[in-house]
Amino acid sequence: MDQSASQNQPSASQGIANVRFGVYNQPSNIGGKTVSQAREQFSRLWGIPTDAVAYKGKDKLDENYVIQPGDNVEFHRRAGEKG
Amino acid sequence: MQSKRFVIVGTGGIGTWLASGLVRLLEWKMPGSGLILVDGDNYEEKNKERQDFTKLGNKAVVKAAELTPQFPKTTIIPVPKWVVSDDNTGVSTDSDSPRIKASDLLIDGDVVFAVVDNFAARKILFDAAAKLMNVDVFTGGNDDALFGSIYHYQRRDGKNITEHPVVFHPEYENPPDKNPGELSCQERSKLEGGTQLLATNMAVAAFILGRVHKTIVLDQSPEETEIYFDLGLGKSEPYNRMVSQVNQPAMV
Repeated sequence: MDQSASQNQPSASQGIANVRFGVYNQPSNIGGKTVSQAREQFSRLWGIPTDAVAYKGKDKLDENYVIQPGDNVEFHRRAGEKG
Repeated sequence: MQSKRFVIVGTGGIGTWLASGLVRLLEWKMPGSGLILVDGDNYEEKNKERQDFTKLGNKAVVKAAELTPQFPKTTIIPVPKWVVSDDNTGVSTDSDSPRIKASDLLIDGDVVFAVVDNFAARKILFDAAAKLMNVDVFTGGNDDALFGSIYHYQRRDGKNITEHPVVFHPEYENPPDKNPGELSCQERSKLEGGTQLLATNMAVAAFILGRVHKTIVLDQSPEETEIYFDLGLGKSEPYNRMVSQVNQPAMV
């Protein structure tokens, strides 16, 4: 189930949420930011692709979803393919 | 410790190292177990840079012949075939590419290792396993550099204990590659192995072996379901993909 912005209206409240991408995992003050804003913030640091889907648990997050304090937001990292 | 049946699909870059390690684990921790090696491909001289074998020939047959005399408490069986889906629509024929359906290969209670070099064949194995009551499927892969990842899909009593990897990986839903078992010999010969690194192949095998030790030999929780690693950065990161945990927001 997608979680869209309508379920979480933007608010001024900020707070710590967890951001993960592959081997990277960092608590960050991104509560109140949208998924696309969080991706932009971390893409340069971690090389997150622009089309990487964001998840909270197994729910895909809409680009406009507003991250809540305590959320665990994971950007999809493609699995290793070769062997 | 009860003996079990272990099935390694793919005895190439990752599979050769995994087979050598797993057979030692079985011989001393789970004697009497069966180890089935499945691969339709052949070892070639060019594979020696990062694959462990002593003779040229079919990978499953050569590896089984190497390990059998060394490990008498483990029954090692080669299956020199390509694994395909039940609705295989590939152009290969049995004469140029001996094949076996994943649903004919796997049985309830198996511990399966999908260490092939493409998402399409991995998906076939995961989907066949999803129809079994009790099964463990470990998969792992790497890129052309120092990044790799592994995943453990576990089912007990007909229910997923860990999520099917398609939940988190769209590359399994719509594989960007093709299963070599469904290609003709000519098409398959054009596939490139890329520029993979020995260290990364061995690391994938080691991570999988570590998970087998924890979740099969010691029968502990598969909560470190998926692990990403980067040997260049010296980092690894576990992800909990258990069905009972995956929807709970968690601060790490």
